[in-house]
Amino acid sequence: MDAQAFLLQLLTGLSRAAILFIVAAGLSLVFGALRIVNVAHGSFFMVGAFVAATIMRSVEGLAGLLLAIVAAAAVVAALATFVEVAVLRRLYASEHLLQLLGTFAFVLVFADLVQFFWGAQPRRVVQPEPVGGSVAFGGIIFPKYSLFLIGVALLLALVLWALMTRTSLGRDIRAAVSDPEMLRMVGVDVSLLFTVVFALGGALAAIGGVLVAPQSTARLGMDIDIIVESFAVVIIGGLGSLVGTAIGALLVGLTFTFGIYFYPEAALGIVFVVLIAVLMWRPHGLYGVPER
Amino acid sequence: MGRSATILWALAGLAALVAPAVVDERQVFVLMSVLVLAVFATSFNILLGYTGLVSFAHAAYYGIGAYTVALLAFHFGASPLAGLVLAPFVAAAAAFVTGLVAFRATRLYFALLTLALGQLFFLIAFQWRSVTQGDDGIHGIVLPPFLDPTTTRYYFVLALAAAALVAMGLIMRSPFGATLRAIRENRDRTGFLGIKVSRYELASFTLGGGFAGYAGAMYAIFDRQAFPQLLEWTTSAEPIYVTLIGGLSSFAGPVVGAVVFGLLEDWITRNTEYWRALLGVVLLLIILFLPGGIVEGVKRLVALATGRRLQKGPSAGDVELEEPEAQVSTAGRAS
Repeated sequence: MDAQAFLLQLLTGLSRAAILFIVAAGLSLVFGALRIVNVAHGSFFMVGAFVAATIMRSVEGLAGLLLAIVAAAAVVAALATFVEVAVLRRLYASEHLLQLLGTFAFVLVFADLVQFFWGAQPRRVVQPEPVGGSVAFGGIIFPKYSLFLIGVALLLALVLWALMTRTSLGRDIRAAVSDPEMLRMVGVDVSLLFTVVFALGGALAAIGGVLVAPQSTARLGMDIDIIVESFAVVIIGGLGSLVGTAIGALLVGLTFTFGIYFYPEAALGIVFVVLIAVLMWRPHGLYGVPER
Repeated sequence: MGRSATILWALAGLAALVAPAVVDERQVFVLMSVLVLAVFATSFNILLGYTGLVSFAHAAYYGIGAYTVALLAFHFGASPLAGLVLAPFVAAAAAFVTGLVAFRATRLYFALLTLALGQLFFLIAFQWRSVTQGDDGIHGIVLPPFLDPTTTRYYFVLALAAAALVAMGLIMRSPFGATLRAIRENRDRTGFLGIKVSRYELASFTLGGGFAGYAGAMYAIFDRQAFPQLLEWTTSAEPIYVTLIGGLSSFAGPVVGAVVFGLLEDWITRNTEYWRALLGVVLLLIILFLPGGIVEGVKRLVALATGRRLQKGPSAGDVELEEPEAQVSTAGRAS
């Protein structure tokens, strides 16, 4: 592997990590506050990608991408609010398994809804002009869209960090992570807070879906693929930790990309081996804390 | 078993015996898949309902059982019956080894770790072309001539299912089964009694894996094929919702669930393209309104009809009439 190939793989791996971070951050945020592992998170991601496919076909350029992000986030936040209010809210007192299955039931429902509205054919999405194509640095050619994804992920990480540490909503979320009962007692509407967090988590998945669409396609089955990889990310990083999610995303994204380069058949297998090794060493992930 | 439960089992057995006389050939195949699913789901309930473990690797052991039959027949021309004998042991060995890894973690992380371990097995079946034929799978396993007629094959599969269900029923009524239930009810207190909880959990995981492998071998024999999707984690979800539909607090739950799910799935897939959405809605309704599943629903109906209160205390040594509330409250505390 020469320097050019290495840098290109590194960039591809980092852009993969960028998408994984955005999606897994939502998963982790929801788990931190609600203590629910949302299997339907992958469905939100898929809905985001298909909304992007519809919008970016009629609105071109960066405006189309921005509009798609806003629309997908709004659509999915509405869906997530429905899921939380209609079903999950009634399951907080019951066991993990029922919660997990409740969200799994929505995976089945959303998969068919997407097929109903968009059909079974994959949708190609054109990369918007200013961030499409490639750019040359020192004789090496890089795809612009990968650089763009890394930039967006960094920006979102910054926004999330500011949200969690600099706003009253972030303060409430952090309080809910450590003690929802106490938070309720000091007068915060914890039910509403949980709905907001769940919608926010879903919106992150949708944004990930919009951003990934121009790089690959919007297709059925992407919900299951992304959820397995996102699980790997949050398990490695530790559920509920943003820093852990970032590190997990980097580890999974890079392992997967370089794995494909060297051993295409075994790439995902290598990711799982890394995951198992991390859990053998730290049973709650790198930054996770034991379940309460 | 209570008297009414005995009568119900006998009626179910009778219905299974006369079924081939009243249904057509396609439906006999549906019934065979129901029998396989009943054994698969009951093997899963050893972990879920009895020990309180949520595993997403269970399909891996099911698939390993199916591949044991298929690979022996494909590479060595061995009889599927030889594979059937070996399958539970191969699957149990795989479950034992993965169990050693998975039990490093507990509860939620345990569940997610089993997901990763199960996917590893799936990827091996999917990618190791020279041995497993990869995505194509192995089709057209040659059966011994006596199994060629569909009706004979049905009775063979029925006998295999009955043997497995009786074996699992006996094991769950033994002191070993009682210990597993104690672990589910209260892991810590069971440990205080001097019982080595982790060993029992590993034993339960291995036993469930072994019976899953047996169910997989049954599948390979009745459908004469094996393919990677049998090991995928979405297949692991199948016994979970079958158990949920039937009810996880009783031995009969997964069997009832398998019958209902199998027949419903067959009917729905023939009538609509959107069977997943319907299944999802059914699951949601059960999760929200009948967490004890059909078995508990029937018990409530019977109690209502006979005017008696639902029996609250667990009757001694009785697998059938366990207190459904206990399940929910235990689990609530676990979160």
